[in-house]
Amino acid sequence: MARSIWNGTIAFGLMTVPVKLHTATESKTVHFHEVHLDDGARIEHRRFCSKEDKEVPYKQVVKGYEVADDEYVVLDKEEVAAAAGDGAHRIDVEHFVDAADIDPVFFDKTYWLGAGDDGGGPYRLLHDALEKTGRAGIGRFTFHDREYLTAVRARDGVLVLHTLRFADELVPASDIDIAAPSRGPGDREVKMAAQLIDTLHEKFKADKYEDEYRAAVLDVVKRKAKGEEIVVADEPESDDAPDLMATLKASLDGAKKGRR
Amino acid sequence: MARSLWTGSISFGLVNVPVALYSAVRDLDVHFRQLHEKDGAPIDTRRFCSQEDKEVPFEAIGHGYDLDDAEQVVLTDNDLAAAAPRKTRTIDIEGFVDVDEVDPIYFDHPYFLAPVGEAEGNLRAYKLLVKVMESTDRAALGRFVMRTKEYLVLVRVRDGVLSLTTMRFHDEVRPTKDVDTGGRKPAKAQIDAAVALVEALAADWDPSRYTDYYRERLLEVIERKRKGKRIRAPKSSDAGGPPPDIMAALKESLERARSGQGFDRDGEGDDGSDAGDGLTDLSRDELYERAQKEDVPGRSSMSRDELIEALSG
Repeated sequence: MARSIWNGTIAFGLMTVPVKLHTATESKTVHFHEVHLDDGARIEHRRFCSKEDKEVPYKQVVKGYEVADDEYVVLDKEEVAAAAGDGAHRIDVEHFVDAADIDPVFFDKTYWLGAGDDGGGPYRLLHDALEKTGRAGIGRFTFHDREYLTAVRARDGVLVLHTLRFADELVPASDIDIAAPSRGPGDREVKMAAQLIDTLHEKFKADKYEDEYRAAVLDVVKRKAKGEEIVVADEPESDDAPDLMATLKASLDGAKKGRR
Repeated sequence: MARSLWTGSISFGLVNVPVALYSAVRDLDVHFRQLHEKDGAPIDTRRFCSQEDKEVPFEAIGHGYDLDDAEQVVLTDNDLAAAAPRKTRTIDIEGFVDVDEVDPIYFDHPYFLAPVGEAEGNLRAYKLLVKVMESTDRAALGRFVMRTKEYLVLVRVRDGVLSLTTMRFHDEVRPTKDVDTGGRKPAKAQIDAAVALVEALAADWDPSRYTDYYRERLLEVIERKRKGKRIRAPKSSDAGGPPPDIMAALKESLERARSGQGFDRDGEGDDGSDAGDGLTDLSRDELYERAQKEDVPGRSSMSRDELIEALSG
């Protein structure tokens, strides 16, 4: 059984569902550590006091919030924890919303929820009710001394918990300046572009897309390990396409040929 | 408008639209700095060679990768550049998918794409992409490279603007086979009651109704500390186990939800002593919200019970 990272209860109405939280995603980005190019030795990050120019042991480092230029308010661990809320291991569902109404931009991290001790029955019940209604429970959740807004929904037999971004963390589209063309795209252009989209339309299958960059980095590592010299290829500049209609036509022809 | 993070072009068939990338998320987190306890001076991080015990300038740092046999390969920035795909300034659209087919678990960071420059042809091509994707409710799947890393991205239209989201790869989502997904299928009567309760507690999704209390409380704690006040963490309350009788809990909840009564989840304090204000039925967040309105001092560090006490006073 995979280790859980948090145990608690989801409460809706007077119903309580004991749950365990598991990590659902992991970055597979190739990680390197810093090394000194001269001798290949590891690089260490050392903390220095900017005033005394002396190394400072970790025990003497505190967290400060800058309230004015060079004026810091120092908070200790307990004071930071005070802001997290009461630390109850409980997610109180405030209400259930239509899961499809939550725009994808709100979703941040995802976790799997498993049934907690003696929670098999209530877990199944909440899952089935959410699956049937297509709803997600919105509530708050405290994790590592920080409170998050979360959505709990059913996904292929498993309950998932998403942490959500707050509305004020999102940049409104109206903040983005977009100059309007003096003449909008014509009906023929829209029609042709729609055809092109239809030709290139496919069912979304996540496993169709591999992280080619990750593979390329690992390949460079392998070649370098064999003592190969790594050469960077020159890249050609791409040109602009001035005639929209002609380009669309050519694209459509190309796309159709490609699908035959 | 904020600074763009990347400029290039989005390529759709043979149509190339020059675009700039902007973050769609702003960082409102409360950030702390590391300080030296003794004199309050900011801490600087310096890079040292662990072998020579000497500070190392940035240019002399490479990227080490551990091989299985305890050996390491060292790559330079230049070596890594060789791994970057050729077309580094283009978002290549590979296909179009229906937005609702893409599970939110794949979404990572959201951005906006805006057209670059005033050239009529580019603005029209941008508008064309917006118009046609909006009318078909489809999103484009593509790849692009930013700061040497290649991303799989979904481009769709949000409020008339092209919105780009970086995506996780399928193998970055962990399998669920080890997750305990509970017991047998519940009885129909139970599911019906649970569905009725979910619907009784239903509301429209309205993101503006949720405030980041954590951020507010953290700023309040900082303000109080600045004034020299003491701060303590509230006592933790118990989460509790499953209800002894599921059907009874569902029925009672449904009744209360329909009659507009609240739920006293702690199962205590319902002795009528503070009847009338219904404070014991509120969650800590709801109580905190009230305390904020009434400007109760020290509210950020109060437990649920303390908030009830302060508010009923």
